[in-house]
Amino acid sequence: MTVEAESYPEIKDYTKAVDEPEWFTALRIKALKAIPQLKLPSFEKIKYQRWPIQLKRPLKQQFSKPELLAELSFERAQHLIVQLGQQLVSAEGISELEEKGVIVCDWQTALRRHSDLVKKYFMKRAVKLDEDLLTAQHVAYLTSGLFIYVPKNTVLTEPLTTYFVQDATEKFDYVHHVTIIAQEGSELSYLENLTTIGQEKTTANIIVEVIAEDNSHVKFASVDRLGSNTTTYLNRRGHLGKNAKIDWSMGMMNDGNIVGDFDSDLTGDGAHSEVKIVAISTGKQVQGIDTRVTNIGRHTIGHILQHGVILSRSTLTFNGIGHILKGAKGADAQQESRVLMLSTKAKGDANPILLIDDNYVTAGHAASVGRVNQEQLYYLMSRGLPKKIAERLVIRGFLGPVLAEIPSQLIRKQLMVTIERKLVDGQKDE
Amino acid sequence: MTTLEVKNLHVSIDGKNILKGVNLKMKTGEIHAIMGPNGTGKSTLSEAIMGHPAYQVTDGEVLLDGVNILDKPVDERARAGLFLAMQYPAEIPGVTNAEFIRGAINARRPDDDPLSVRAFLKKLDETMAVLDMTDEMAERYLNEGFSGGEKKRNEILQMMMIKPKFAILDEIDSGLDIDALKVVSRGVNKMRGSEFGSLIITHYQRLLNYIVPDVVHVMMGGRIVKQGGPELAERLENEGYARLRDELGLKIKLVDEEA
Repeated sequence: MTVEAESYPEIKDYTKAVDEPEWFTALRIKALKAIPQLKLPSFEKIKYQRWPIQLKRPLKQQFSKPELLAELSFERAQHLIVQLGQQLVSAEGISELEEKGVIVCDWQTALRRHSDLVKKYFMKRAVKLDEDLLTAQHVAYLTSGLFIYVPKNTVLTEPLTTYFVQDATEKFDYVHHVTIIAQEGSELSYLENLTTIGQEKTTANIIVEVIAEDNSHVKFASVDRLGSNTTTYLNRRGHLGKNAKIDWSMGMMNDGNIVGDFDSDLTGDGAHSEVKIVAISTGKQVQGIDTRVTNIGRHTIGHILQHGVILSRSTLTFNGIGHILKGAKGADAQQESRVLMLSTKAKGDANPILLIDDNYVTAGHAASVGRVNQEQLYYLMSRGLPKKIAERLVIRGFLGPVLAEIPSQLIRKQLMVTIERKLVDGQKDE
Repeated sequence: MTTLEVKNLHVSIDGKNILKGVNLKMKTGEIHAIMGPNGTGKSTLSEAIMGHPAYQVTDGEVLLDGVNILDKPVDERARAGLFLAMQYPAEIPGVTNAEFIRGAINARRPDDDPLSVRAFLKKLDETMAVLDMTDEMAERYLNEGFSGGEKKRNEILQMMMIKPKFAILDEIDSGLDIDALKVVSRGVNKMRGSEFGSLIITHYQRLLNYIVPDVVHVMMGGRIVKQGGPELAERLENEGYARLRDELGLKIKLVDEEA
């Protein structure tokens, strides 16, 4: 224990209890010291600053009861990680990955067993500790997570599936970190499911860093269904080397207020990021989604495709930012953001932002916010389908172009089930 | 036996009066045809009966077995037994034809007794065979990228699968070549029986060679101006609408008439 930690009693007790390495505790303190100088990040047309999004509860261990998971169902998967709150509940089919030199372990274990690796990558390449107030708070209050490392030229044929269940049966904030490192020439398919159990008003601060080294390929998929009383900052960021590729497929099916900050930094020549997002906002919730791809290397490709649906009095904002830096010759930045309104009281926004600092590049954008097509509804209803079912079919058609582009059929199916459930629930408020 | 009765129906669209008191009565077991020149309100009649939101009924009633359906939403009218084969069916991406038709059938059944996939597929295969439709049509997205002829066949396919009490066929013959016309007619004729009635809207008598109607109505200027048997259709084909209009002493300008 460093002398400095002594002056931060809440950190001292926690870090001692979880037995974390000193360097990490020092990082927490560094973050705490930086906080007073840092500001909340700002996102175009997303006003979240007054939400209870800042972490204020002291670091504390949460011991969740595993029986809470009984009410959830998990899809079978060959490689499966289930975490409840701060704890690892199950890890199936991980040892066969370890035989290939792959590391998949929960955050505390990673800090103890793979300290050097974590130190090398954590908040260094993709997201930075002192980037803004929320990233600094993330480091200061981090209590759970997963560390994934795929060695050079290793190809995982089966996807790795994770369920991260926030335990909001008690007033604990959920501060969660995932680091994925895909070494040169490796391939990984990863599916993340975020959910909440419990109804306490809590804050979630989640950061996912994907480091895709040269010639690696990461398929990242997520189905996010955080609870209605959880206010969330969700940051997913990719850092891509030469000819690396990340396919992002994200389903934003949360019930509470959330800011999603999804970025890809195409640093290496020929790096390629495909971002597909479907989102549904219901009730009175606000979902603000800021998706950015930055072309830094030459001949880099950044594509954003996001479609969302809004019901009741909800809000959904899509920002699409394509930023081509000077020197990114031959870069391509394309984006499409569309919002479908099912209610006149809902608010939707689709903002295309293209920032181009070099010549010899290609870029394009499309954005729209529109009402549901009445002719389609009429046609479906004229065959006897009730209005709500007809609406769901039209919505499915609207989201179809995004879903069709999701590389994995399994994820597509899972996402469709979640979409249907979210819509059925959302229509109850109509 | 079920009856469908249109009483003194007045309908306007965008403030323009199109139907000016239509009266019509039919029973299951009967096939009626409505003929008339362009712009006379035939399609308006069909859309108003089905309940298209753009058409405002300003007066009159549509009674299904004596019950006015005009205050019911579109889906309830459909489940009560009405079907409209549309002139321009909407395209619904992302929803397969088969899934849609099965959904429509199950919307008429109790929640705990849906039609099994197996039974449904068997019936779908048989019906598609009658209409000379290829298997892949079942898995394509609803009407998306369908040719004009494919859309018409698909409307008839839905009708045959859903088995409504009354089917209104709005210019089901337009854009069809003679072979497709025969196929579509075969589908409708297969439905004929005491539990099924149809109101066929057409410009041309040709369709009525294949689906012989019991009653022919002639519509002009937003009203039904004459009724008769199948011979009336043949007479119109030979003599044209203008002659009938003049004979009836109507002061109506036909849309396609030379000035």
